[in-house]
Amino acid sequence: MSNTWLLYMAFAAGLLAVGVYCLLSMRNLIKLFIGIEVISKGVSLVLLATGFARGNVLLAQSLVITFIVVEVSLVATALAIIINITRHTKSLDVRKLTKLRG
Amino acid sequence: MVLQIILLSGLVLFSVLAILLRDLIKSAISLALASLCLGIVFFQMKAPYAGVFEISVVAGLITVLFILTIALTKAEGEVRESKAAFIIFPLFFVAFLVLDILVMKGLMAKVPALPATPEPGGLKFGDVLWKQRTFDLVGQVLVILAGVFAVLALFRKRNKDE
Repeated sequence: MSNTWLLYMAFAAGLLAVGVYCLLSMRNLIKLFIGIEVISKGVSLVLLATGFARGNVLLAQSLVITFIVVEVSLVATALAIIINITRHTKSLDVRKLTKLRG
Repeated sequence: MVLQIILLSGLVLFSVLAILLRDLIKSAISLALASLCLGIVFFQMKAPYAGVFEISVVAGLITVLFILTIALTKAEGEVRESKAAFIIFPLFFVAFLVLDILVMKGLMAKVPALPATPEPGGLKFGDVLWKQRTFDLVGQVLVILAGVFAVLALFRKRNKDE
């Protein structure tokens, strides 16, 4: 069972790496948010895989569902903020958000 | 097991595509396909409720929200990403994969099997969600309310004086 768990961890680490790379290198606000979504997929995989390895699938499922609900709320709010930012700066470029720069 | 590996590879592949594709609509669809793969993996792990939520909410609702946002912001034109990001990515990803495989291989013998604490037989998902994680449900309701109010506040009509 431990080997299966490590396999899931390996793939989850891959997802996390891809998401972090996106956050570090991309400039489009929507792309950055897609990176956050990829990281969240890795996190839900880790949650359920650990529950599966320990024989606690029901508890892990309820945690994953809570996580998904929080994720949806986050996505709705963040996309609304992105639309507002775009209306103000007329661009999706994250480098144009420099109003707070000292 | 082979099916699991194929699905997990598909998940990582579609996630990579979601990040690398220049067209945002195609990126959003790739993300939905990645969610679909993850949902099927959840089904394989005997977690049907999480799978249904992943496929219907994440692959469905969130993709619709993404596509809506892309349509609303399309008029502002494309953002030019740096070329270096696309050139460095394959090198970064291959290096990470090699490191990942080496670390996991090293851990394989060292990490002891997780102590299994199986749930008592006959326990249903509803019991766990409603009785063991009741406080989580209150939190979920509050988070949804916070999200609704945040969206309402962000899209409220401005008065002429403002």
